[in-house]
Amino acid sequence: MTIHRDSMAHFHQELEVLENKVLGMVDRAEQMVEMAVEAVIESNVDLARTVVDLDDEIDATYLEVHERWTSLMARFQPMGSDLRKMAVLIQLSTTFERMGDQCVNIAKIAQFNEGLPRVDRICDQVREMGDLVRPMIRTSIESWVRQDLDETRLLPAMDEPVDRLNANMYKEMVAVANHPELLEWAAKMILVSRALERVGDQAVDFAEQTAYLITGVRSGFDHLVAGSNDADIR
Amino acid sequence: MTIPATEEVPITIRPQTASPPTADVPADAVEDVFELSGFAAGYGSFRAVKDVNLRIGEKRITSIIGPSGTGKSTLLRALNRMNDLIEGAHVTGRASYHGVDLYAPDVDPVEVRRRIGMVFQKPNPFSKSIYDNVAWGAKINGFRGSKSEMDDLVQEALTRAALWDEVKGKLGDSGYSLSGGQQQRLCIARAVAPNPEVLLMDEPCSALDPIATLRIEELMLELKKSYTIIIVTHNMQQAARVSDKTAFFNIRLDSKGHRTGYLVEFSPTEQLFTSPKEKDTEDYITGRFG
Repeated sequence: MTIHRDSMAHFHQELEVLENKVLGMVDRAEQMVEMAVEAVIESNVDLARTVVDLDDEIDATYLEVHERWTSLMARFQPMGSDLRKMAVLIQLSTTFERMGDQCVNIAKIAQFNEGLPRVDRICDQVREMGDLVRPMIRTSIESWVRQDLDETRLLPAMDEPVDRLNANMYKEMVAVANHPELLEWAAKMILVSRALERVGDQAVDFAEQTAYLITGVRSGFDHLVAGSNDADIR
Repeated sequence: MTIPATEEVPITIRPQTASPPTADVPADAVEDVFELSGFAAGYGSFRAVKDVNLRIGEKRITSIIGPSGTGKSTLLRALNRMNDLIEGAHVTGRASYHGVDLYAPDVDPVEVRRRIGMVFQKPNPFSKSIYDNVAWGAKINGFRGSKSEMDDLVQEALTRAALWDEVKGKLGDSGYSLSGGQQQRLCIARAVAPNPEVLLMDEPCSALDPIATLRIEELMLELKKSYTIIIVTHNMQQAARVSDKTAFFNIRLDSKGHRTGYLVEFSPTEQLFTSPKEKDTEDYITGRFG
């Protein structure tokens, strides 16, 4: 089978549509993170319900992406950077679908926690985590759009304070141990913290996939956290 | 090692080797069968392909891909001196086979072709029986065994070509009575009957349907346990499926508008089709030209 330029031009058009669908998922997920954090801090159950509804959109797009992806693979058998992009897009669609699920987890906790007594310091910490995670998602999106390898490498450092805050949440839990009326609420907020930490990890994964698309070399970013030599990424 | 210019070469059936799949052999353990250095080939004043520098490893499948007119088939035919039969054909540079210059004056082209067999684009069985199609390959290469030994040789060659079970009850039937895919496997049996070391395949599946194509591809993977295989193909998926290494050729225009093929990239197949080193390769395999 000879690959004809015309048919591959058609493939590239369809690939662009697929890419936009996947990027639409992460755009929506970024918006959902902001809304979910707001909902859980302000006990806004209407906002929480909106987050759950938006996740249905992400799930529907996820299914559409998989159908389009399968069709493209079956019809065109792409190679080279096209094959890498296809591999990355199917991986990212799963990552973004799970990002949406984390937001739903937070939104459901917002509904559960409504009316419970709360601790401002913990709320502030969760808000701070949200404020750190959303720029991570935005940076990952922009590094994809610009295909900027240097920008992808910013993500591990951006993720470090999120991990620290998540680890610190357990100390906050211990601090309220003598207040039984706060325990149920605080225990749920640990799950919120954990969900935001996962979203941060997913943003890093997004950047790693972008780096692979650019370089053709699979290499995690773990080594960048410690500031070690990154010469294995070409 | 030299290639003797003998008139009669005894043909014996090489026992099926028990060598492990080549994927388990470290890359640096593979011996080179061909080494091309500054090699060029053409006809008259036309240079079909030039500046070819590559090494082809033993018991590997090497694919040659690229747009039409890049000299892929010319290069393939130059490897067993099949081009000698075309008036005006010429080569420059060096093409060595196990270190021996294939075009040295004392090298016998007939012996070269016995050791380096060829399978063509279109199945081309002779107007003979299935048995005689295979036996012919051995006979013209000096087979002097008994009828019984010839029977064994024919069976062995047809078995290697994965055709024996389908034709063992009708060896006297014409080769033309077979389907296209079976005819191509018959041609492969004819090519392996003289016990070559290398099989050159020039778009061997281009005239076959997808099922017959897959049979030939499975056969190639089996044959590479015993033979070095070089295949010219326009089917990139086929190259990706079967070959260990792939060479991509492209066309360069000189100031007078003459088109000449040249080697752009020679890489492990997986790398070439996922992360090629050269932009021209990337543009070709993603359909941005060609």
